[in-house]
Amino acid sequence: MKHKTPLLDQLESGPWPSFVSDIKREAESRTKNAKGVDYQIPVDVCDDILGVLELTYVHKRTHWKHGGIVGVFGYGGGVIGRYCDQPEMFPGVAHFHTMRVNQPGGKYYSTEYLEKICDLWERRGSGITNMHGSTGDIILLGTHTPQLEEIFYELTHDIGQDLGGSGSNLRTPSDCLGKSRCEYACYDTQALCFDLTNEYQDYLHRPAFPYKFKFKFDGCPNCCVASIARADMSFIGTWKDDIRIDQKAVAAYVGGEIKPNAGAHSGRDWGAFDIQKEVIGLCPTGCMAWDGKKLTIDNPECTRCMHCINVMPRALKIGKETGISILVGAKAPILDGAQMGSLLIPFISAEPPYTEIKELIEKIWDYWMEEGKNRERLGELIKRKGFQKLLEATELEPVAQMVKEPRTNPYIFWKEDEVEGGFTRDIQEYRKYHLR
Amino acid sequence: MPYDPSKPLQDRITDIGPKNYEEFLPPVIKKNFGKWDYHEILEPGVLVHVAEGGDKVFTVRVGGARLMSISHIREIMEIADKHCGGFLRFTTRNNIEFMVDDQSKVEPLKKDLLSRKQPGGGFKFPIGGTGAGITNIVHTQGWLHCHTPATDASGVVKAVMDDLFDEFTSMRMPAHVRISLACCLNMCGAVHCSDIAILGYHRKPPMIDAEVIDKVCEIPLAIAACPTAAIKPAKIKKPDGTEAQAVAVNNDRCMFCGNCYTMCPAMPLADAEGDGIVIMVGGKVSNRISAPKFSKVVVAFLPNNVPRWPETTDCIRKIVEVYAGDARKYERLGEWAERIGWEKFFEKTGLEFTHHLIDDFRDPAYYTWRQTSQFKFTG
Amino acid sequence: METAEAQKVIIEGLEKKKGKSKFYLKDFYAMLPDWKPREVNKLVNNMVQQEMLEYWSSGSTTLYGIKGAGKQGAAEEGEE
Repeated sequence: MKHKTPLLDQLESGPWPSFVSDIKREAESRTKNAKGVDYQIPVDVCDDILGVLELTYVHKRTHWKHGGIVGVFGYGGGVIGRYCDQPEMFPGVAHFHTMRVNQPGGKYYSTEYLEKICDLWERRGSGITNMHGSTGDIILLGTHTPQLEEIFYELTHDIGQDLGGSGSNLRTPSDCLGKSRCEYACYDTQALCFDLTNEYQDYLHRPAFPYKFKFKFDGCPNCCVASIARADMSFIGTWKDDIRIDQKAVAAYVGGEIKPNAGAHSGRDWGAFDIQKEVIGLCPTGCMAWDGKKLTIDNPECTRCMHCINVMPRALKIGKETGISILVGAKAPILDGAQMGSLLIPFISAEPPYTEIKELIEKIWDYWMEEGKNRERLGELIKRKGFQKLLEATELEPVAQMVKEPRTNPYIFWKEDEVEGGFTRDIQEYRKYHLR
Repeated sequence: MPYDPSKPLQDRITDIGPKNYEEFLPPVIKKNFGKWDYHEILEPGVLVHVAEGGDKVFTVRVGGARLMSISHIREIMEIADKHCGGFLRFTTRNNIEFMVDDQSKVEPLKKDLLSRKQPGGGFKFPIGGTGAGITNIVHTQGWLHCHTPATDASGVVKAVMDDLFDEFTSMRMPAHVRISLACCLNMCGAVHCSDIAILGYHRKPPMIDAEVIDKVCEIPLAIAACPTAAIKPAKIKKPDGTEAQAVAVNNDRCMFCGNCYTMCPAMPLADAEGDGIVIMVGGKVSNRISAPKFSKVVVAFLPNNVPRWPETTDCIRKIVEVYAGDARKYERLGEWAERIGWEKFFEKTGLEFTHHLIDDFRDPAYYTWRQTSQFKFTG
Repeated sequence: METAEAQKVIIEGLEKKKGKSKFYLKDFYAMLPDWKPREVNKLVNNMVQQEMLEYWSSGSTTLYGIKGAGKQGAAEEGEE
């Protein structure tokens, strides 16, 4: 290896996959160049990654600087500029820009496709990736400025693949695997994600907003892609009708023939399955009953938390009248504290061409583009202006489902047209009856 | 026709979006799309999904460092070609899933995966990450790529997962435990709703490089970047005695986000002693039983003790062990802490409660104080 | 206002500001008070296509500036 890395070497032991060993492997592969690849950035880029990281472990301070201008022509997102602050020591990573590549729905891949990405990134980049970034993109980690356009050209021409979002853009939407392999999926997350991603390509690549905007698609309230915590608009699958019960299968769970929770707890002896304690007793609404033979659910009382279905997936199924709940405004803490999504649409159909959903999205964007301050997420705007303003902007009727509880103060800002006779009054008429 | 740098816009293709996921679905998945009946975890890391018509897909889930070389990806491809008809998928938590359509193909696949080791002895493809265990950590870039990190990401994750390896390959927890890491408070990794969150945190305000700040920075942009309005314009004396337009930082208002450094390279804030790790616990995103919750700060600072962060791994190990021993079946870490009371959480885990853990940041702080006479004594 | 005229307003508006070369989309709303946000957005993104303006991204936020202007721009290009 080009640089000595005694600190990083200590991260090569232990059972978990070592990223240090992996980068060394790529460094060796580049040095050897068995396939005769015509490398477009320095052959020792991976050696220099390890070198600069080792130096960081010594200094305990990052050696990267931000770069804001780099990108591909006409796109405001998809590339994150990065420069090393020791370019002479580590010329291979003097530039170390990242490209975000829009991942496929459910993160399924064919090896045929991955081969093309690997070939491209071997020749024109560091050969190091993230599978995947936090938002969901394929991250191609580290290349030099002149390669950016070349890579974009080959991605679009040879692979038919576009970049993802960054900056004040629509960020790369992401989904759970949905109906492709999950019996809980209440709608086709992949179809909706793919449709909206294509519909809003302009917003994904060119900034139009005060700040970032995220869509995430969870097929059920288990929220495997964390939409409720992370997305400005979360699309969470739900249903309106009854949970379907297979009483025979319930009996099989009670009789110990089927492991509860799909076997998720089998690593420890929790004792015999106790339907009363583990299902009925933990139901947050208390809407279930078990008489020793038959399970009953008072469905109008159910809030669809998924617990009973998760515990007995062979006996209980989501309803048939399925759709989406839409929550808005989730974000990480900076600045004013973290926000969860707030329920805006209790139930909407998720059938293509998704016209109603798109109309809602565009109304929300119009409102945010008009009223949002610089770097204000949608959730912060809603907080600043109030939920009622959002209802006006989206032309939605208030429903009690939108709140956990009604307001605890009576300080209602009545509008003139809501009060009989309006605000204009005759003081003279008043004075006839009230002395000064 | 290759790209021609002299004609950058020739034949340009834009706005084509991602590949259609339908191209990448294995045949058994495509055939049974929307027709799955139930699933079962056969053993840690191995799932079977059964379709209404009786078709089955067996999934072997393996952990991965999200930082992955193309040599490693090519090895994944080789495995997928050999066992899985050329298809595979990744999970949202950086795990890789190999799917086969017949149970007889599971054992050879598992054997192949576990036989592949790194030179240091680590598994390339550890099998696990299912059910009531501890699955892979989602994380950010850290020292490997980010310009404002307060800790590393990949190194900390490697140290923590080595320590928790047995929990990845087993299912003995009361419920699943989701760990995540973000390398600074901007939380690209959105760790704010995790059972256990590892968060990099700076504790020193930015320095000002007086010699160059007026050359390399646009002062109004640095000022505007500050979320707490802690930066204002000021004249400063340069080392050569001349005066220059620069900024002054109100240290009491700095929340150590590094946003000014993004706009102005003359305001670095990273520091060997100042930077370290905050531990937050008790968050979740699922709506199961209780509503989604935010994580809460339970350790205000742990040092960046490279290369293996022993204070961090010990702290997490301790929290996990106490939780595993005390919580009820199905109870998430946050639900357990709320049931026993946070005062009991500190007593049981032995973590020290300090003044740093009482919220004093803006409006939400009040709602975290105790507005009742009900509490438990601890000893 | 015609497109060409609006472009001129923007370029002149940006050139007038001293000590700052990068601007948020919102800053352009103020320069064209009669235009809707979406129209302003289309206009400035178009000006990027025509190489009159360029993007600057912090990774989380995007700003706009006159192509080649600004201190950090010079520093970044100098490193090539």
